[in-house]
Amino acid sequence: MKVMRQHTGATVGVSFIVLLLLASLFAPLPYDPKATEGGASLQAPSGAHWFGTDGAGADVFSRVIDAARIDLSLALAGTVLSLVLGVVLGLAASTKGKGSERLVRGLDAFQAFPLLILALALVTLSGNKLYMVVVAIALINIPRYMRLLRSEVLSLRESRFVEAAMAMGASPRRITFRHLLPNVWGVVLVQTSLTIANAIVVIAALSFLGVGVSAPTPSWGGMIRAGAGNMSSGEWWIASFPGLIVLLCVLAFNQLADAIGDTTARSHR
Amino acid sequence: MASSPTAVISIGSKAPIKKASGPLRLVLTRLGFLVSALFIVVTLSFFLVSVTPGDPAQLIAGPMATAEQITQIRADLGLDEPILTRYVDYLGGLVQGDLGNSYFSKRPIVDELVEKLPATLELVLLSVLFATVVGVAAGAVGAYFKGRLPDKVSRFVTGVFQAIPDFFLGLILIYVVFFLLGLAPAPSGRVGLVETGPGRVTGSYLIDSLLAGDFALFVSAAHHLMLPVLTLGLVYAAYFAKTARSTIGKALNSQQAQFARAMGLPERTVVRYAFAESRTTIVTYAGVIFASLLGGEAIVERVFAWNGIGTWSLQGITKLDLPVVQGMVLVAGAITLIVYTLLDIIVGLLDPRISHA
Repeated sequence: MKVMRQHTGATVGVSFIVLLLLASLFAPLPYDPKATEGGASLQAPSGAHWFGTDGAGADVFSRVIDAARIDLSLALAGTVLSLVLGVVLGLAASTKGKGSERLVRGLDAFQAFPLLILALALVTLSGNKLYMVVVAIALINIPRYMRLLRSEVLSLRESRFVEAAMAMGASPRRITFRHLLPNVWGVVLVQTSLTIANAIVVIAALSFLGVGVSAPTPSWGGMIRAGAGNMSSGEWWIASFPGLIVLLCVLAFNQLADAIGDTTARSHR
Repeated sequence: MASSPTAVISIGSKAPIKKASGPLRLVLTRLGFLVSALFIVVTLSFFLVSVTPGDPAQLIAGPMATAEQITQIRADLGLDEPILTRYVDYLGGLVQGDLGNSYFSKRPIVDELVEKLPATLELVLLSVLFATVVGVAAGAVGAYFKGRLPDKVSRFVTGVFQAIPDFFLGLILIYVVFFLLGLAPAPSGRVGLVETGPGRVTGSYLIDSLLAGDFALFVSAAHHLMLPVLTLGLVYAAYFAKTARSTIGKALNSQQAQFARAMGLPERTVVRYAFAESRTTIVTYAGVIFASLLGGEAIVERVFAWNGIGTWSLQGITKLDLPVVQGMVLVAGAITLIVYTLLDIIVGLLDPRISHA
């Protein structure tokens, strides 16, 4: 409870995400998100259509809520893959030596990639497979986990308690899993929250460009794409509501990351 | 530096060669890294794009194509050769400055790049400038009034702009500034639909229109740059503000700042010292932002119909024009690495505290 009061932003953010997820899974939507109605296209927000209707006459509110299911589950899948591979590879790379030094240089070079272009190329080349979106998210985020873990673990290795464990004759495996890993969970959790936020943006960007989740299935990026042209002719609601939801989700996970960072940093002292 | 070790190595003949020391050595090691990193970027981009499941020939031929047609296309594009042969061919061409030809326009990738790069550089450089000025200003205000109202406002605004996807911000600006306020032209690219660009000298419309003495075109080009620069500038200013706030905050809390205050120096001078102390970080971060904008701004180019390498590569990808994708990755990667290397060298030479060992 105390934690919740200290981090209003994160509490509000998490509640928002949970509500959004529950609504997309269980709530009855006012309209069928995939149904189109030619006569009701481009209607401004009103009592009948809270967020208005798009160019094909589909209800924007129903679509925005429904899209949370696929967008958030893809983001979570990408994050889990990044987390697992990033932590394993990061720990493996956290030794002092020429090999791990070179690996870091390789990661540096990888950072020079235009990552969005690469993600787009991979998804398109695979023939628009959804699992490739997950792979692309992992490809973008694994190097970030590796860098983070490496720098944390290398500084922890210098600390007294690791030295003491080594003096006691603890095996490298025991030191890694019993002494190092528990101490990096804080930063890993912060990074995970940031990764979810990044994944949501990457997925939205990909669908905005027309790959990943494709047309009849609602996705936030796809909806922004559908309403992009309408922004210069005044029908702002088609792209703005899905865009706003993306913004709020990212804000929520950024706040959560801040809160986790604060809490774990405090418990260290 | 006078006591730096002068390691002696011998190559082939017995003539001993002194290993370079100090600044020269810094430059040499960084250049060495640059070359190897570029090689890694080229190799990774080649194989990542090549081993991904999916057949460009089939996608180019379309769903109605016969097996012979697909085989024919594959042979035309050289895709029937083993991947290692293609890789060696690609590297061989690269050394001679040949990045292959586009599958569709059949023109050399290098020509297309030279044609489109200036539009992107114009946009990116102005955006970095905007982000630096606004971001450092917002960060400095936050650092100076730490914990008070201006800091809270600055942090809130920064947080929102960090969370907003750049392409969405671009659309919002189009709605507000173009549609509602009528202050910006329609998102039609670098100039209006009925206008044509100036004769090409540098490739930058701003500079070329002035050189041609066409002031109206200069105004139009500047006007068309406004929204895309604002979009990218605001998003990246938010990142900049966060870094600037912590760096300048640290400098304002340093012992030398306390000492300057104790000496009774005016606040203006203290702030100026804090800026001077933060300048290497600011320069470095501006370089980092420049690098991530190349390629990162592609989607914003699409929103504003900007005819740069971003739009070019996005079109290339949807058409599975592999040489275009590889050319884009290579150029963005190369410019990024060159900028990082220059930054390393500049910052290393500027700051005597950083050791070059």
